[in-house]
Amino acid sequence: MTGIARGGFEGLDACVHCGFCLQACPTFLATGDESDSPRGRIELMRGLERGDIAATDPALISHLDRCLGCRGCEPVCPSGVQYGHGLEAARSRIAGSRPVPGVARLALWALTTPGISSVVYWFARVLRATGLPRLLAGWGRFGFAMGMLAATRAAQGGGGRRKAAKARQVAPAAIRRPSPPLATLLFRGCVMQGLFSHVHDATIRTLGVNGYQVRDVSGQVCCGALHAHAGLLDEARALARVNVDAFGDGDEPIVVNSAGCGALMKEYGRLLDDLRGERFGARVRDVTELLAGSAMKGPVAGEPLDLHVAYDPPCHLLHAQGIAVQPLKLFAAIPLLELVPVPGAAECCGSAGLFTLLEPEMSRAVLQTKIDRLREAAPQVVATGNPGCLMQIGAGLAAAGSAARARHPVELLDDAYRAAGRYE
Amino acid sequence: MDGLPTHRLIPDLVVLPGTREELVAVVRLLAALGVSFVPRGAGTGLSGGALAAEGSVLLVLTRLNRIVRIDRDSRLAVVEPGVVNAKLGAAARPAGLQYAPDPSSQSACTIGGNVAENAGGPHCLKYGVTANHILALEVLLADGSLVEIGSPSGESWGPDLVGVFVGSEGNFGIATRITVRLTPLPRAVRTLLADFTGLRTAGEAVSAIIATGIVPAALEMMDQSCINAVEDSVYAAGYPRDAAAVLLVEIDGRNSDAVVAETDVVTDLLRQSGARSVRSAATEAERERLWQGRKKAFGAMGRLSRDLVVQDAVVPRSVLPQVLETIAAIATHYGLVVSNVFHAGDGNLHPNISFDATDPVLKNKVEAASAEIMQACIAAGGTITGEHGVGIDKMRYMPLIFDAESLGAMQAVRRVFDPDERVNPGKVVPVHACREWTHARGDRVGSRGAAPRGEAA
Repeated sequence: MTGIARGGFEGLDACVHCGFCLQACPTFLATGDESDSPRGRIELMRGLERGDIAATDPALISHLDRCLGCRGCEPVCPSGVQYGHGLEAARSRIAGSRPVPGVARLALWALTTPGISSVVYWFARVLRATGLPRLLAGWGRFGFAMGMLAATRAAQGGGGRRKAAKARQVAPAAIRRPSPPLATLLFRGCVMQGLFSHVHDATIRTLGVNGYQVRDVSGQVCCGALHAHAGLLDEARALARVNVDAFGDGDEPIVVNSAGCGALMKEYGRLLDDLRGERFGARVRDVTELLAGSAMKGPVAGEPLDLHVAYDPPCHLLHAQGIAVQPLKLFAAIPLLELVPVPGAAECCGSAGLFTLLEPEMSRAVLQTKIDRLREAAPQVVATGNPGCLMQIGAGLAAAGSAARARHPVELLDDAYRAAGRYE
Repeated sequence: MDGLPTHRLIPDLVVLPGTREELVAVVRLLAALGVSFVPRGAGTGLSGGALAAEGSVLLVLTRLNRIVRIDRDSRLAVVEPGVVNAKLGAAARPAGLQYAPDPSSQSACTIGGNVAENAGGPHCLKYGVTANHILALEVLLADGSLVEIGSPSGESWGPDLVGVFVGSEGNFGIATRITVRLTPLPRAVRTLLADFTGLRTAGEAVSAIIATGIVPAALEMMDQSCINAVEDSVYAAGYPRDAAAVLLVEIDGRNSDAVVAETDVVTDLLRQSGARSVRSAATEAERERLWQGRKKAFGAMGRLSRDLVVQDAVVPRSVLPQVLETIAAIATHYGLVVSNVFHAGDGNLHPNISFDATDPVLKNKVEAASAEIMQACIAAGGTITGEHGVGIDKMRYMPLIFDAESLGAMQAVRRVFDPDERVNPGKVVPVHACREWTHARGDRVGSRGAAPRGEAA
């Protein structure tokens, strides 16, 4: 059996069921059921591959549907099991034998179809502008959705941001602006473009301060990550091909500010199984990678912001892309900003793409732990670099009555640069 | 399934009680129905002890995971059985205390499972195994009654029932509340990594250290195959890949001068015994890395092959070098890869046999080699398990070290707690080996045999 013939299941072979992954799995921690743990799911997936368990088996489907796909189990695995690849293979097989759930279909259609999604996002933005979603936020299904929408709103007047009185005493760092500026291409995505365009603006501005000229690329579409997670690999491939064509064969880095998109786009080579995909993947950079710089010197310093920030690393940044230090460099470039340690910050928030819609009960159970710990740590801002996490954590904070906001790390750097007069 | 790939059973039903009250209600219902059951923690065991067969109910205790209290002054903690070992350690640390038994699976395994197996770990060389750290237990018996044994204040009246219960492999009942001893964190710690060009010299170094009378906190050995698996993993600790074996030695204590002095003695001894180099962990981070490599070695060996049997046996420390050579010879004879990672300080061996279980020929070879390794350890004056327990896997070796009368006595003790043998049936004591004894008792035969369940209803 070759790797390709097994479609990702081969990634599971190294598992010797030692169980060291159990405590790294948010869903196992929520239920205590080994079938909701990586090791248990690997057993189910192995059974599926062997043919001992049918792809239509309701228990199999339920336990695999309940996996967040956060891949928190991968970095703790001593034998290097490629859980994510196995999961994708298993989900693809399940998707081939049952219709994709209606909610997932509807969400994918509404959020990622060109033409349709622009109308949906327009309505969402109008609703958001009324300020109602924030008022209606809660733990119920409707309330949570409202909370998610409210969490996408750009911070007005800085959201807790304060100019430090002694600001002018801090000498502006020498601008390492290379001439000519380095060209980089922005990946806009679907949800990011529809609801987080302010993060795109902040990305363009902060990269500009750090010597990058950000260019727009026309003809790009959704990255396909939501489809791939739902087992719709063919649809993900179709979208990936459009993006590969749109971004061309140059060698400018492709900058992404959504961890979920970046994780999949870096793997286009594997998804498409071709060289162009491979080359595309090698060009993809998370915005924090570019800002931190290859030598990890960190971005140009901004004006001090007197803020207490909890950093919540997105799973698809930390586990899937192995990016841990770079986001911290952004915070380090903001004098006075204090990072508040939160236990279990690296655990998944329960967003996981469409998971929050499809498995609300498990999603909320996983989120609840995080919100409890955040409330104890009481930061003013929870910083995280993924749209799903921003909405999930933002909605959770709102539902819990916390005044803290969820924001993208580049937004904070952007505030610090604005305060420093770098955009004047 | 647990950590051992060679046994796989499917229970009729799995129950995950969320509270002690639910657990008690379920066990009482099972008692009324006469159905047997198997308690299970995290399923990290290595002898098939927490597997339930057809006809049995699997009681998974992972949700009973509350640390009820940590008493700093009395240096004890009260926990539910599903509390993860490492989480108890983390909770005790702010009070300057530790829960000393540290099985390598401590990041996943539960205290309830530790009690059932009388779990050991690297630091048990100095601090003692689980049995030395359990003060009192609330036990749920098979008939659904709750009894308290032991005393939180240490000595209790009558026979040492806690000592009897700890290590009973789930045969006597379920520990529903566990009072553990916490010990002060050592003030000074030195961790040494010594590397050797021969397994034999490494084994001799162990004997030399033990002979001085110094009791290291831990004294662990890893051979080359194991070193490479760890170094290929995310837990790479910087062990030298070209070494035939490394020893990880830890000296700790309350007095840092004494620790430094003992470390100097041990360092000299290691050098005299032929260590190529001895390095001391300079920082806490480096020390942690050295330990993580050792503790995750079992999992890392998944890199070598699809499946892995972790064996467990004890031999007198003086014969370690010879036994290691015998194991290597057995491996060569069967054409198998055997890696060694073990608690050298107390002679507790863990030969890890890598293989592909989908190949039935290979699987048979592994079973045959395991049996020969066990026989070699017994012949060297050792025994068949150090800490992983008998479970299902080691039952076949029990008659090699115990006669029918001893096995019968074990059954008799078990029946004091569980007369119908409904908790974790078919484990630990091989029925066929004590049939002679069972027949002699005549009247008890009826409660055993092909259909143990249903009898007590």
